[in-house]
Amino acid sequence: MADPIEFPFGRPTDEPDFSDAEVMTRLRASYRALPTPPLAQVQQCAAAVLARAGASGAAAPVSRSVGRTFRPQWWWGAAAAATLVVGVMRPWRGEKTQHEADSAFAAGAAAQPTGSTRDEGDGEIRFDLTLPSTANAVAIVGDFNGWDETKTPMAKRGRDGTWSVRVPLSPGRYTYAFVVDGREWLVDALAPQVPDAGFGPANAVIVDGED
Amino acid sequence: MTLTGAAWLLLAQLASASPAAGVMFAQSATSSQQRMAPDDQALPSAQQRQQIQFDAARFDSVTANTLRGLFEDAVELGLPTRPLINRALEGSARRMTGDRIVKVVRELTAALNEAKVALGAGSTSDELVAGAEALRAGYDARTVTAVRATRTPGSAVTALVVLTDLARSGVPTGTAREAVTSIAKLPRSDEALLGLQMAVAKNAQRGPGMALDALNRYVRGTIPGSPGLSAPTTTDRKPVRPPDS
Repeated sequence: MADPIEFPFGRPTDEPDFSDAEVMTRLRASYRALPTPPLAQVQQCAAAVLARAGASGAAAPVSRSVGRTFRPQWWWGAAAAATLVVGVMRPWRGEKTQHEADSAFAAGAAAQPTGSTRDEGDGEIRFDLTLPSTANAVAIVGDFNGWDETKTPMAKRGRDGTWSVRVPLSPGRYTYAFVVDGREWLVDALAPQVPDAGFGPANAVIVDGED
Repeated sequence: MTLTGAAWLLLAQLASASPAAGVMFAQSATSSQQRMAPDDQALPSAQQRQQIQFDAARFDSVTANTLRGLFEDAVELGLPTRPLINRALEGSARRMTGDRIVKVVRELTAALNEAKVALGAGSTSDELVAGAEALRAGYDARTVTAVRATRTPGSAVTALVVLTDLARSGVPTGTAREAVTSIAKLPRSDEALLGLQMAVAKNAQRGPGMALDALNRYVRGTIPGSPGLSAPTTTDRKPVRPPDS
């Protein structure tokens, strides 16, 4: 059957072109025949090429390199969001955070003066006050001594900042406060307090409150 | 021969006056007799006259005279003057101005009178003072009356003092009233009430929510079979851990 298409230089074929292979063989041989350049000359040539590249618009390749390195990636946002959530919630620190909160509370509570009252018998009531700071003199004032800070000084007991005094009191209800160093008025944070009527807070104690 | 009012007053002053006491005010015998007679309840008139004696040297003359008038008014109303005098001395010790001392004493007189109405005529001086402070803490007269009724015939001082302190600790007044009236009916309730006050005061330092939770736990533990108090509407934060017992 005759070929319907007529090719002017013959029909194309997939067979290799032996003439090209022969050329390549000759080129390789001539390249190998060249003398090996000295290392210094190679470095000089490389430096010259790089210097020329830098002088004739090296900014573009560098810019492209920078852009390629810091191009925003889709996962950056996800990573930032995850870091934020974990940093805020800190799920692994639940117990530790609680301990820290308790410690802060304990420190705050310790900063307040606390005391106690105890019936010592024989109609005497013992007042104790523990101060968070040092004091030179502490006195108790109240209904029972006419609110006179010179009448009932307290004695320091030990080195833990506790001051004590025993006051003879008949049954009844009394209001009292503590005066530190003759100028600062304090109340026991844990004892019953009366509402501030305009003078400042004060404690209340009940002697022989029986049913 | 009977002693006149002036003689009784002079005798009382001589008995109680000390060199450091300063100037004691002498009531006009006739005026004190006229004023104290109608509302006098249980105390002898001589004791009532003694009530008005106070260390006037701790006040300026204007303040002292004003205070004396207030004390006389209190006697007229049948109110105890010792709490008023103590309050005035407290103001003097705290180095308050005369105007403020007079203002506070006048307010306390009004509060004592209101407490007397709420607690009844048979109330003691301590009960009146405790009731006046409960009223000033934000409780209404009906609450004070209800607390007093739970302690009949005993003293309501402890119950009123604890009631007042619970409000200071941040416990809602309705919840505090419910807790105090429930515990006050128990035997040896004064100890239980003071225990309630201590438990709440300890936990109140950690926030009002903690105080309320401690109160509920204490009531449940004190009153056998109690389901606890009704939960009030509050915006307090939730407790972060069980309160201290």
